Amino acid sequence: MALLVALGLFAFWEASAPQPLTVADIPEHTANVENGKLLYNIGGCISCHAPGPNVKNVGADVPAGGKPLVTPIGTLYPPNLTPDRETGLGYWTDLNFINAMQEGLGPRDEHLIPAFPYTSYTHMSGEDVLDIKAYLATFAPVKNAVKRHEIWFEPVVRRGLGLWKWVGFDRTLWQADSTQTASWNRGSYLVHGPGHCGECHTPRTLLRSSDTARMFAGGPHPQGRGMVPSLRGLLARGRYKDAADLVLAFKNGEELGYDKMSSGGMGEVRRNIAMLPDADVAAIADYVLSLK
Amino acid sequence: MISKFSLGILATAVTLVLGSSLVFAGGDDTIKARQACMKANGAGMGVMVPIIKGEKPYDAAAVGAALGAMDKACADWANFWSADSMNSTTLKTHALDAIWKDPKGFEAAGGTYYTAFTALKATKDEAGFKAAFGDLGKSCGGCHEKFRGPMQ
Repeated sequence: MALLVALGLFAFWEASAPQPLTVADIPEHTANVENGKLLYNIGGCISCHAPGPNVKNVGADVPAGGKPLVTPIGTLYPPNLTPDRETGLGYWTDLNFINAMQEGLGPRDEHLIPAFPYTSYTHMSGEDVLDIKAYLATFAPVKNAVKRHEIWFEPVVRRGLGLWKWVGFDRTLWQADSTQTASWNRGSYLVHGPGHCGECHTPRTLLRSSDTARMFAGGPHPQGRGMVPSLRGLLARGRYKDAADLVLAFKNGEELGYDKMSSGGMGEVRRNIAMLPDADVAAIADYVLSLK
Repeated sequence: MISKFSLGILATAVTLVLGSSLVFAGGDDTIKARQACMKANGAGMGVMVPIIKGEKPYDAAAVGAALGAMDKACADWANFWSADSMNSTTLKTHALDAIWKDPKGFEAAGGTYYTAFTALKATKDEAGFKAAFGDLGKSCGGCHEKFRGPMQ
């Protein structure tokens, strides 16, 4: 019996072990700050990393972190992304940043809570991830030590996440579909990677991984109540007339009478999408409307 | 043989059932009334948005009629949000409990809407109408973002 328990613990420890990338995995790349800004916007990073109520004299659009995020597992305090050396990402290396974004690992190789959607960012190219880091470095450093997450048994939960990753964390990079247009592919990349649309719009399995067989068929609301709508068959269901119609909805929302994109947090997501270049908004519309 | 006592119990039971169903019906009627208001608002949008988009020419009479119908359907707004209409066992409502948890915020959002609505209604020409419309739409969003759940 003791042996079985010991074996079980050993298996748990092995399966939940972090698997960080190494320096060899970092691409040769000259960072493009403009591209980083675009990806930061489509990622809606500010929606979660907004400055908390205690942060004074800092604009609401500065990702100084700390705004409480209430989730079913407890209240989370998203970290400070400004380049402050004590409380932000000032000392983070490229490797630290890539490991966080693509492996869900913090600088001490601790598993990160997947409320931070690295499960989507893992599909992005390493170059794009580094561009986001370069854009974050352009913010003025803000000293803001955010509170610790308020979740039960945090060390156990964190280590347990390793097991969860072992079972259901799909690390594959996004792949282009050569039978589709360039715009469709661009949209697919933005939706699956930086946009992390599937985190809310895709159902989850019993183990809370994305149920990829039912991609974008609508999922549970991340704050624990109600459902996030399906993105499938938007044309067939008469939600939008065509891609141009959906582009207008993304760009204007209720100011042009499009009322379906306001609730459940989508209003903020829509405003983030509206910040993208026209071609990218159109690309997202092309891709989303192709989901049957 | 039915005793007076059991008749009494029956009468009490019937009263309770009818009474409670009346209470529920009260809430349901309120939900139906506010949904009719929102439907009318949607129909009004259906008249005005094509004008804003330039798909149809400006038509003062049509705009006036649309806004009038919205006004009429929503005249009882102040009574649309009674506590018994928070939930329903028979009707689907997208209203969030934030309406009842944050009555001040809800009232402020409603006030912003009404101000924008009144301003739009006061416009007399195409330029004025087109300039005022955005504020109305935005104020719809102001409520829908915080006080309405996602639409499936």
